[in-house]
Amino acid sequence: MTITETSKIGIAILSLYGTLDALSAPELRNNRSIIDPEKTVVIDLQQVDFIDSSGIGAIVSASRQKRQPSGGIVLACMNDRVRKVFEITNAQKLFHIFDDTTAAVDFASSRQSASA
Amino acid sequence: MKTILAFRESEYAWVHEKFPCVHPLLLPLCNKPFIEFLIDFAILAGSSAVRILCDGGLGEVERYCEDGSRWGIDLSYASIHPDDSIHAMLGKNRKFCGEERVMIVSGFSFIRYDKRYDYKSFASSMPPGEWSTCPGGRITLTGVPTKAVPDWLIADLSLMPLDSMTSYYQASMETLKTGESRYVLPGYGDEPECAFGRNVVISKSVEIRKPVSIGNNVQLLGNAIIGPSAIIGSNVIIDRESSVESSIVFDNTYIGEHLEIIGRIASGNRLNDPKSGASIAMEDPHLLSGIKKNRHLRSLPRKIVHACVALVMIAAFFIPFIILWPLLKLGGHWKSSPASFLSERTDETMPLAKVEVDASGAAAAIAVALSLDRYFRLFWVVTGQLALIGSTPLLAGESRPDAPAYVPAYLPGVFSYAEAEEWAATGGDATIVERFHLAHSNPLTDIGLVIKAFINRFQEKSTI
Amino acid sequence: MNNSNITLTLPAERLFARVARQTASSVADLVIGDDRHEPAGRDFSHAFELAVSEAFTNSVTHARESATPQVVKLTFFFEQRQLVVSVHDANDPFTIETPVPDIESYPENGFGLLIIRKVMDHVTYRREGNYNIISMSKTL
Repeated sequence: MTITETSKIGIAILSLYGTLDALSAPELRNNRSIIDPEKTVVIDLQQVDFIDSSGIGAIVSASRQKRQPSGGIVLACMNDRVRKVFEITNAQKLFHIFDDTTAAVDFASSRQSASA
Repeated sequence: MKTILAFRESEYAWVHEKFPCVHPLLLPLCNKPFIEFLIDFAILAGSSAVRILCDGGLGEVERYCEDGSRWGIDLSYASIHPDDSIHAMLGKNRKFCGEERVMIVSGFSFIRYDKRYDYKSFASSMPPGEWSTCPGGRITLTGVPTKAVPDWLIADLSLMPLDSMTSYYQASMETLKTGESRYVLPGYGDEPECAFGRNVVISKSVEIRKPVSIGNNVQLLGNAIIGPSAIIGSNVIIDRESSVESSIVFDNTYIGEHLEIIGRIASGNRLNDPKSGASIAMEDPHLLSGIKKNRHLRSLPRKIVHACVALVMIAAFFIPFIILWPLLKLGGHWKSSPASFLSERTDETMPLAKVEVDASGAAAAIAVALSLDRYFRLFWVVTGQLALIGSTPLLAGESRPDAPAYVPAYLPGVFSYAEAEEWAATGGDATIVERFHLAHSNPLTDIGLVIKAFINRFQEKSTI
Repeated sequence: MNNSNITLTLPAERLFARVARQTASSVADLVIGDDRHEPAGRDFSHAFELAVSEAFTNSVTHARESATPQVVKLTFFFEQRQLVVSVHDANDPFTIETPVPDIESYPENGFGLLIIRKVMDHVTYRREGNYNIISMSKTL
């Protein structure tokens, strides 16, 4: 899996490419923006072609790292394969999910400034 | 224009409780899933794309509706939070909405519309804001109108909350009465107010009183009275002398003999009173009349007959078995693994070998065609622990909706009634066939059905 | 592939979960045939791939420390419109009846068996000698 990190109005955007499974999950778990409890992160899942329970666990774990678990990680552009796995595990209930990265960043930014 | 259909689990929690076998968005209204009425309305309002939003699981809905191509629209799915406002929903679906006008239908409510009206002109010319509301539901339009409001436009529309079994029953009966004139409803029929699905078998003495809506694969047996105002789902058997009036019978339900179902909702083995909301899980001898009596009175003769036939089969197939079994076993074509199956007695299991025969060679093909993979099970019939023909044995420890806790009639057999009737071995409709035979078969008819099942397996295996 | 077995033995290492799931996906596509481009076919294949990935990862996660390298054996079988996969490992016995994780407490583990149970039609577990065998099937 490849993680591309960009930043927009103070929000980190992690774009994931490839497979998010037991082998690649540690890479996401150890990402610097993920482990920073103050940093709000948007994870773009458009290019994730496969995710399993380890991948879901890594994203749930990422939100646990945040000061505000429910808003610290915002998800964007879930494709159908990824969305189905989130639904099976009910993990979609823990996140705000957007179909557009810009909208996700706007939301994350408003959350960050509200909690500042 | 695009449409968003948004639901929250809390709005339909009552459906989970009362009708656990169906996803609330697929709750049938006059044999048509609830969500389809909304999709129809979105299409009438001129939508080319519809997105279903929910804070709960949508797996079953997605398996049913797929990508919307059957309606000629793009159908997609997304998640929301229970406390998301309409504004938040629009934000989360910004890419979907684009620059177009969006109609948002939120809440678990039934839209009373009339397909003869021009909702498309109405939806594209109305100013943004609420179009219609009811407690817990609303239709909202966003974005600028694309047309001017024509003077002549009338578009009758109202919302009805589906917040209880009472309102669900009302909506179903109302839909049945207004019928085809307002909605697109499933079924065929030469007469108005009478819709039949595919493969409906009606005995000559059955009386049909309009309005009725009947699903697919339904059997209405002698002297049954159906209607007025009866909605019968798919894979249903209404047995002799029973009547169903002002009632809804869900899919996969067997209504036993001499029963009067008036003003009720029957679902599996549950009978619900839509007025009081009361719901009772029925045991034999109500919805499944006769099964308990049959089992007690006939269990000994049935066991004797089954054991005798099993002995004949053991003797008849002894030679092919003794030749083919070691051959296949040595060649690695015969794989047997122990498995625990649910016994006839509640909460008890029985160890039965699960045999897989790789039918690639001639010897294996013969063994499979002769059902030798079930040879060992015949001995269980002799000891009375297994029927020769009965229900498909269920593996213990599996979580499945047709497990004996939900199926009062379960009698594991070497062969299954579903195999005799050439129904798929799995699924709710096979269960119904098995229940029906358990209620009606006797030791003698069982012999005929064993032969039928054997021949069916023989033909199936020998054509692979 | 009616009545044909496909057996695959892989080292019990995370890396090979991808080989396991790609094989599962190919086997599923093979039995689905032309329907693999339809939504239902795609779902079937994805569900099967996911279940195999989860079962394999589960075997790897609980693999014993030992001098000899551990392996996980996968057997695929298709009969009567049912695609069956058995996953064999030599780990300690376990149960598949694990409780559903409480999502509100942000659990990081415990989703694997939940996914398997949800996406497959029948799931059984048995112990044969020193081996765990999870058998999973899905009907076309």
